[in-house]
Amino acid sequence: MSVSDRIEGVSRRLGQRSPSDVQTLVLALLAGSVAVAVLTPLLWVLNSARSVPVDRFFDILFRQTTLDIFLNTVVLVVAVTALSILIGVPLAVLTAQTDLPFRRLFTILAALPLVVPSYIGAFAFVSAFGPRGVLADALAPLGIEQLPSIYGLVGSVIVLTLFTYPYVFLTTRASLLSIDGRSVEAARTLNHTRLGAFRRVTLPQLKPGIAAGALLVALYTLSDFGTPAIMQFDVFTRIIYVRTTARQVDFASIFSILLVGLTVVILLAESRIERGGETSAYVNRGTDRPGVVRLGRWRWVAALFPLAIATLALALPPAILFTWLGRSTPELAGAAVDFQWTFAWNSVTVSALAAGVSVLAALPLSYLSARGKGRLASLPERASYVGYAVPGVVVGFGLLSVALNVTPFLYGSLAVLVFAYVVRFLPQAVGTTRSSILQVDPQLLEAARTLGKPPLVAFRKVVLPLVMPGIVAGAALVFLTSMKELAATLLLRPFGFETLVTYIWQVQEAAAYGQAAVPALVLVGISALSMLVILGRERYDVKE
Amino acid sequence: MTADDSRRDDRAATAGFRPSRRRFLATSGVAVTGALAGCSGLFGGDDGDYGAPNYDAVDAAMEAAALSEFQGSGAILEGRPAPGGRSMEELPNLSGELAIYLGGGEGGLYLDLFDVLEEVYPEFSYTSQSKPSSELATQIVEEARANQLQADLFISIGAGSLGTVVEEDATRPMTDETVEPVPEAFVEPDNNWVGVAGRARAIPYNTEQLDDGDLPDNVMEFPDANALQDVMGWAPTYGAFQDFVTAMRLQEGEDATLQWLEDMQAAGIQSYDNEFLISDAVSTGELAAGFANHYYALRVLNGSPERPLDLHFTRGDAGSLVNVSGAALLDRDENAGLADVFVRHLLSAEAQEFFATRTYAYPMLPGVQPVGDLPPIDELETPDIDLTELANTGPTTDLLTEAGVL
Repeated sequence: MSVSDRIEGVSRRLGQRSPSDVQTLVLALLAGSVAVAVLTPLLWVLNSARSVPVDRFFDILFRQTTLDIFLNTVVLVVAVTALSILIGVPLAVLTAQTDLPFRRLFTILAALPLVVPSYIGAFAFVSAFGPRGVLADALAPLGIEQLPSIYGLVGSVIVLTLFTYPYVFLTTRASLLSIDGRSVEAARTLNHTRLGAFRRVTLPQLKPGIAAGALLVALYTLSDFGTPAIMQFDVFTRIIYVRTTARQVDFASIFSILLVGLTVVILLAESRIERGGETSAYVNRGTDRPGVVRLGRWRWVAALFPLAIATLALALPPAILFTWLGRSTPELAGAAVDFQWTFAWNSVTVSALAAGVSVLAALPLSYLSARGKGRLASLPERASYVGYAVPGVVVGFGLLSVALNVTPFLYGSLAVLVFAYVVRFLPQAVGTTRSSILQVDPQLLEAARTLGKPPLVAFRKVVLPLVMPGIVAGAALVFLTSMKELAATLLLRPFGFETLVTYIWQVQEAAAYGQAAVPALVLVGISALSMLVILGRERYDVKE
Repeated sequence: MTADDSRRDDRAATAGFRPSRRRFLATSGVAVTGALAGCSGLFGGDDGDYGAPNYDAVDAAMEAAALSEFQGSGAILEGRPAPGGRSMEELPNLSGELAIYLGGGEGGLYLDLFDVLEEVYPEFSYTSQSKPSSELATQIVEEARANQLQADLFISIGAGSLGTVVEEDATRPMTDETVEPVPEAFVEPDNNWVGVAGRARAIPYNTEQLDDGDLPDNVMEFPDANALQDVMGWAPTYGAFQDFVTAMRLQEGEDATLQWLEDMQAAGIQSYDNEFLISDAVSTGELAAGFANHYYALRVLNGSPERPLDLHFTRGDAGSLVNVSGAALLDRDENAGLADVFVRHLLSAEAQEFFATRTYAYPMLPGVQPVGDLPPIDELETPDIDLTELANTGPTTDLLTEAGVL
């Protein structure tokens, strides 16, 4: 039986015969293999867990410390996600729908914290607000001896929120810009106040956008290691890291499995919200934007909000690093190799490769999920989020093991590192691509087909140009998160291959913090350029 | 891979011998000795051998510059005797390309030393990769199982990680000749790893606030010491601190260690991010004393010699543990001979002088003095602990978590 016969047979069994269903099947196979590929690092976890005796498994599972860490993790994720919505949504409304002064500038500033690695942010916060930090030093002469502690939950929440809320900001802003202004005006003519119209008309349409951003925030928080490590707050990632490197693989794998379970719960919750709003997500084809809200004399007061956030998230970290530059003793300054521009070039190359591979891999997943019918069609797309929630050290050791045992000829090459980034950050490309596919009227494609174009050509000529902005934005997001990824980079980089983050890690280990200032600024600067690409995409959406 | 290969490597090394480079090394030794200690005992004999009439000014300048390559700078060098032990010039030349796994970011300093070796031996070059020692140990074990080792040599900042890779059969023994000058305590019984630089646990204290007599000689008595209530600091997330707790656990048992951790907290100990910050805080009077590796205090003092900072050592317990940065040859067919000779270079008088004066580590050669007023390594009363047992950090993490320290 030939392959096409088999496909035919499957189609028949499904009771559908049209050629477009064969295409769906091919698409499903493609999407399925991408999903399986990005889940391979987890094989390592499952394989390690298999060797744990059942009683040992339950012994670890039901310890008091396990429960504590589980609760810590849940509280951290919920708090960071909620706060990110509280910061991201108002900022999106302010910059998209009001006459806030310097709107363009504040739009860029509000998105930029995403490019700052959270471990640098956490380090800056401890240096600034810690018990012996800059603030404590400044207040000491005033007789203030003790500051409230920055360590633990409070510090972790503040830092993670400040550097991840832009996910919510960006997705909410994109939804706001695509909302049909006429529906808001209709509500106003029906005697709704501005606030009422926002609550009853705008907000429901924003919900999928907010949910998509909140999902990225929640899963990033789940996977982040640097911040809780510096803030000394016990969450899954910290335990997994400590146990993995202490070669207690049983602990590490059990906590990894718990973490994946938590991820699945978050994904299910988000699907529910998103499905609720989906119908309205792509019936909107209006081009009229809602009118700008005039803030009047409150304009300048309102500007203080984005200004305060930008100061904390963007001005503080470099400022702190530069104070360390001044403080370094000659011995400390000499503790590490000098910065070289090749590190920046290496970072850019490998991150750009990851971005390119990610958008290609994201296409079948997002197309199937956006256009396919039924829950099964979304399964590969949903599955790709798991890698995003797993900490880098698990992805790193998982891929290390897979590469060594399955593809030894690739071990130690750049390909493994690029693939690690794809595993970790693919969902970001999937998210933006999928939402832009959703915004394309499916009838456009059908129209092209009726004009005699074969399906692939129709897709390339009609759909692709329309979803291009989403693909570019996805590439930019993958690029900037790959630029700042540390855990898998340290583990999987080829011999003699140093990037900006591995250099920053080395000088920080040597306690030569000042030397991290220049590479950190270069990292933030390059990533900021890719953020401009993301925001530049808005030109396609709206004509301003 | 066999002794044949290593002999071949050695031959290759000899073939790459260059008289001018030898002279470069030899004369720099003389200059060091002359400039710093005013005597030329150690390398004196070489003057005759290599003091050739064809010296020109350029050579001399280059050689003078070479001194600083191995030595640090500042107050610590005053009155320092010349390093004793096997000189680099007695060793076979290095030739070939060596791949090094370097555990720990502090290894950045070690790269300076390797760069000097590259400069001395034109036929020699190296590539390296650094990451946290414990991660690297896990990676090496995985690589060895798949027969895919990427490096010839593993240099780790702690014996624990070396123990891990030895236990998992990822190493091959070094030659007796290479490890011969190092005291037994710092060599694995089958020559599978050797210490290249020591790091002692110590109690930095502020000399304006405390006298040496205020500090107990037994680390277990610290929680009850009157002078130490609410004025001490520790860095519980720091690897070296956790090694210290592991040592205490091995020596005193889990219950006593847990009790000690809880008592120290009851005595108001404060947490810091790393031990450099502790040593710095002690020197400014913010703390009166702390738990730290010895070299951090020396770093502080070398930058600010006027600060009232000194080190106290406990006796024969975890508080005086001496851990080592060490080297292990990875079980790989290439470069075994080169890697062995490279380690021999790390154990030469010149390289040990580097570790002593640039990283403030305890030299492994009895003939090389530690810097400053540090007691020589054989005068420290170190605990009787097999350093590789420090690899077993799991129960320690449990204890620290249970005590609420982590």
